[in-house]
Amino acid sequence: MIDTIKPANIWHIDPAERVPIPFYQSPVSAGFGNPAENYLRARLSLDQLCIEHPDASYFVEVDGDSMIADDIRPGSILVVDASHTVETGKIIVCWVNGECYAKRFVRFERMIALFPSNPDYLPIYVHLDIDQFSVLGVVIRIVSKPPKWDSEQTKSAINHVRTYRRERNVREL
Amino acid sequence: MYGLIDVNAMYVSCERAFNPRLNGVPVVAVGNNDHCVIARSNEAKILGIKMGQPLFQIRELIDEHNVQICSSNFELIGDMSARMMSVLAQFADDVEPYSIDEAFIQVNTHFDGIYPSYQGLGYAIRDTIGQWLRLPVCVGFGITKTLAKVANKRAKAKPELGGVCVITNGESAEEALREFPVKDLWGIGSQYARLLKKNGIETAWQLQRIEDLDWVRDRMTVNGLRMVYELRGFPCRLLEVNAPPKKTICTAVSFGKLIPDLKNITDALTTYLARCCEKLRKQESLARHVTVFLHTNPNRITPGNGLPAKQYSASRSVRLPHYTNHLPDFLRYAIPVVESLFQFGYNYQKVGVILNDIIPDTIHQGNLFAEFPTAKSLHIGKTIDRINRKHGRDKVRLASQLQSPDWSMVRGSLSRQYTTDWNQLLKAK
Repeated sequence: MIDTIKPANIWHIDPAERVPIPFYQSPVSAGFGNPAENYLRARLSLDQLCIEHPDASYFVEVDGDSMIADDIRPGSILVVDASHTVETGKIIVCWVNGECYAKRFVRFERMIALFPSNPDYLPIYVHLDIDQFSVLGVVIRIVSKPPKWDSEQTKSAINHVRTYRRERNVREL
Repeated sequence: MYGLIDVNAMYVSCERAFNPRLNGVPVVAVGNNDHCVIARSNEAKILGIKMGQPLFQIRELIDEHNVQICSSNFELIGDMSARMMSVLAQFADDVEPYSIDEAFIQVNTHFDGIYPSYQGLGYAIRDTIGQWLRLPVCVGFGITKTLAKVANKRAKAKPELGGVCVITNGESAEEALREFPVKDLWGIGSQYARLLKKNGIETAWQLQRIEDLDWVRDRMTVNGLRMVYELRGFPCRLLEVNAPPKKTICTAVSFGKLIPDLKNITDALTTYLARCCEKLRKQESLARHVTVFLHTNPNRITPGNGLPAKQYSASRSVRLPHYTNHLPDFLRYAIPVVESLFQFGYNYQKVGVILNDIIPDTIHQGNLFAEFPTAKSLHIGKTIDRINRKHGRDKVRLASQLQSPDWSMVRGSLSRQYTTDWNQLLKAK
């Protein structure tokens, strides 16, 4: 052993792991110090919240609505962690014969089934002896935009407010 | 104890990690503008495809066996490599990334970890990288780096070892070295291999047993002597955790197609110089010696008559009046140089730039007769690097750079940048 990695060189290993730290410049002078100085913290980052193992985590984009009841919508980004063990009941991202799926994993002996959460879709059955099956990892977070209302939903919401106002005799503004 | 961890066919394995369709079929990765094979899957090796073979030579094989071709996805490979190094840091305090797909680690002989043996540690590393990154690795342990290299090659060559091989002193070393051809040793090039063969040394064991060490020193320099000691189990090459700054920095990439005009060549040169300056700043250095070279494709044959095409190559060096790592400072000299080298009427294949005379940026001295780089210009460079790291390469660049992408790299069968670009993520149904 000769040396350990200098803190300045840590980005050599993983540039993704740098954390932005706020810099509060306070002049050093005699007098009253900045009372907030002792409370400085690194800013919160989504990475910290969503990623447990940066080296084993991958982002996967969802294509299709087969998992819609689990809040996994078309365009959602899944945070997938390859270090988690795959167990029955977990949502995983895997490949079956080259196709990539995000589904709920169920295993019974040598049989694997991948369950969608949209009733319009059928489960996918995987025969380990016949099908090529490999796992990317377990879905640990789902990042999505909030769903948009269509014009119908907007209209009915406005109607609701209108009726409410009429019933309670709220004065016009 | 030193360990060497190395990914089998890195370029192919990274593609397979995100596309299991490529498992079990012959795959080659091509580099250098899709001209040459730079990595082969086992299936492709069995077909007889050689390392570095030009693609046109194996067209028939490719069609016949449906060999899959991947352009080199440097973004993906770089990221997977960084991930691997970082995973290794969980297993050992000291990790030396040796190349993009291999790293040395050092573990204490008395490690009181959770692994009962070096074998156990090796399997744990292999399994973790296999599960987290889906990359197949081989692990070799030895008392010296050279022995770790030997162990690693042995792990690769003998599938029954399960990808892990440990060479300790004594019998296991003798058996391994007896079977190990001396020409495959780390640091033995074809010249030394010939020399040793002439003197009847064909296995690593014979080299280890050699008695006349003066002969080794005379004929193979001190490095050969070190190698013998390393084989005997005395570490001479230590772990280089902080890579020493480079003494020479070079960027020279072949053009995507042949380029006849000075404008494109200058554009490429500017971009390569920008890369060199980036590298300089990354290792916190300054340079003052610039060499520019320019040449045509020496293998090219004139279409029609089949005769070798007319060739041209030239290079020229300049010494700047001061040390710098600021791109415009270099350009002021490099552009006139390339203009003086350029001859009209040739189709050029490559322009390259080499920086020499490199010093750390902390000790540079001013020059009485020349303006040296101001703190401001050095600061600009750092800021540009920061912006480009965050927003993507060449987002901030000189106006004369990358005006036309005529010369840039060809990567016809490029896979997605699964881990470095939000628009190219893996898609799951």
